[in-house]
Amino acid sequence: MGKKNIPSINEDVPSSVVQFATLDKLLNVGRVNSLWPLTFGIACCAIEMMATGCARFDMSRFGAEVFRPSPRQSDVMIVAGTISKKMVPGIKTLYDQMPEPKWVIAMGNCAISGGPFAFEGQYAIVLGADKFLPVDVYIPGCPPRPEGLLQGIIELEHKISKWERWKNTKSKEVPSL
Amino acid sequence: MSEPVRLQADETFVLNVGPQHPATHGVLRVKMEMDGEYIVNAETVIGYIHRMHEKMGELKTYPQYYMNLSRMDYLGALGYSHGHVLLIEKACGIEVPERAEYIRAITVELNRIASHLFWFGAFVMDLGGFSPLMYALQDREHILDILERITGSRLTYSYYRFGGLYNDVDEEFVESSRRFVQRMRKSLKKYRRLVTDNIIFRKRLEGNAPLSRETCRKYGASSAVARGSGINYDVRKNEPYSVYPEFDFDIPVYSEGDSMARYKVRMEEMEQSLRIIEQGLDKLPGGPIMPKKPPKIIKPPVGDYYQAVETARGNFGIRLVSDGTKNPYRLKLRSPTYSNMHLFDESCRGLLIMDALAFMGSIDLVIPEIDR
Amino acid sequence: MILDTTLTALAVLFPETETEDFRSGAADTEPAEEEKKKPKKDATSRKNGIILRDYAVHGYHIDVQVDPSQLLEAVAIIDSLEYFIESITGVDWIKEEQLEAVYDFSRYDFDLCRVVIRTRTSRATPSLPSITSIYAGANWHERETHDFFGIKFEGHPHLIPLLLPEDADFHPLLKDFKA
Repeated sequence: MGKKNIPSINEDVPSSVVQFATLDKLLNVGRVNSLWPLTFGIACCAIEMMATGCARFDMSRFGAEVFRPSPRQSDVMIVAGTISKKMVPGIKTLYDQMPEPKWVIAMGNCAISGGPFAFEGQYAIVLGADKFLPVDVYIPGCPPRPEGLLQGIIELEHKISKWERWKNTKSKEVPSL
Repeated sequence: MSEPVRLQADETFVLNVGPQHPATHGVLRVKMEMDGEYIVNAETVIGYIHRMHEKMGELKTYPQYYMNLSRMDYLGALGYSHGHVLLIEKACGIEVPERAEYIRAITVELNRIASHLFWFGAFVMDLGGFSPLMYALQDREHILDILERITGSRLTYSYYRFGGLYNDVDEEFVESSRRFVQRMRKSLKKYRRLVTDNIIFRKRLEGNAPLSRETCRKYGASSAVARGSGINYDVRKNEPYSVYPEFDFDIPVYSEGDSMARYKVRMEEMEQSLRIIEQGLDKLPGGPIMPKKPPKIIKPPVGDYYQAVETARGNFGIRLVSDGTKNPYRLKLRSPTYSNMHLFDESCRGLLIMDALAFMGSIDLVIPEIDR
Repeated sequence: MILDTTLTALAVLFPETETEDFRSGAADTEPAEEEKKKPKKDATSRKNGIILRDYAVHGYHIDVQVDPSQLLEAVAIIDSLEYFIESITGVDWIKEEQLEAVYDFSRYDFDLCRVVIRTRTSRATPSLPSITSIYAGANWHERETHDFFGIKFEGHPHLIPLLLPEDADFHPLLKDFKA
């Protein structure tokens, strides 16, 4: 059951070697209701990420407002912006410093595929976060609206645990990501 | 064993700030050589978000390049687009209808306020006050609503076209802008009571990192960094472009040169922008928003052209070397924060590290705009 | 007028060349003629000297081309007249086997005058004197130009890649650059 609930990247992690089926489910419900994202903005999308956390869109409704400046305290890395080749070692380090279990959201077209900066003969950027990170949720947009990020967070919650925020959504199935 | 490690009197150590650090507003890195808590030397490392805008300028045709300008500085995107369209219009000799220029000026000023509001929130957050960010972003959302209705985007606008605009404004734009001006005037009073007059805030910033006029000149500083150091320099006044000569507004200048002066300049700039918006809405002429026959293919004649505009972050220059084809031969973007940030290395020497971070916040950094 | 002061000061550098006036209203140069002349001027390497440009068209007033050996002298004159440095950039003239460095200067006061100083160096071994001793703010601009075009600035205190990764050995804005 561990494989279903916890993303496959966590297979080698000690915490998932010993599995307590019911307790794990409970823990996951706890996790999804308090995702702590890393304060890590790279470019334009970071502004929308901040806007999502602020007054009007209020990410705390979904328990994900505790932006931690230190990777050691966070569960979710929101890659918000273009990834340059110079920055890749930094992002890798940050990801490695995050404790398990951890998830990655690729926010915006640049983090998905390079977006508008992917062209023939480009020399400075990496075409997407999934080139070197295991991405769980992709949020398209340039930049995505705050509602888009909220949707992405909710999708991630569905992915982590089968627990649903709203029981009366149209489809009962957990989206297969 | 129990003896603590003591540094020698002349010993220093290197502290690495960034590229991921909440106070650097993005992916900026500063290598600081520290003597205790004092900075002996600093070296800023940039380029972590270099996105090849200048290379793309050579590969794309002129209209394809609209989108790059707005992604360069996402907080004050319209100011940068304004420089771009003015340059091409100047080079090709395209006449712009008056209505379009007025709408450009109004939207640029709205965008400037949005940018300053974001800076205000983030700057106070750097200093440890969280709630002003909430208030500031709430006000900013109102501007984004107004701009989104007419441009179709929240941040990365590509609203201006060579010769005019993509979309005309309507009565509701005028109404909502007027409502916003009223709202913002009240908010500015609130910010004054909440932050500017706060004694802790003042004590923290007064005398922090004073810059001299000469330093500004040697580094080519602009915006509040220059105006906080007693330099009355604003491209809108010094080198009038667009319809700015039609408006009655002041340039706030302070001579102290410290972080408080830079803060006050930006806060007062918002008031002046409100004045410009009000006058623009009053004077807004009717008529078309695009010339009768906009050129289908943009091919500026051979030559070298330069245009400077005052964006939210300062003196933005754009240089075009044209060889008469559909693509620019060379497109240089002179970004204001690049020069403003450059003087940080020299000016932060001898400061406490927390003072240096306050100074860095007062420069108003947008990293993709430095790296381009 | 600062324009005249600057012109007089810069004219010292070119004792033998006359200042050319390309302003539309000035002299007997008609705009149509200017159109014809400019391609010729810009396409082939122009002679060193001062050209007065039409501000309404080009966005700057004085356009000076100097020999690399005169660069420091010219910049020192500009510095003594209280100009501030705006930017430094390069242009790759691949057909002429030359690289051009362009220096922009402007003023803080209301006496508007923009000066552009250009200088050219060979494309094979591009090298120019560094102006960091005069304008400290030229540091990053020169490093950036070195990144993009590979121009070596002699006397620069810290000429390592700025925008490109630390180990970058390519110059992306050269016209023959392939990723």
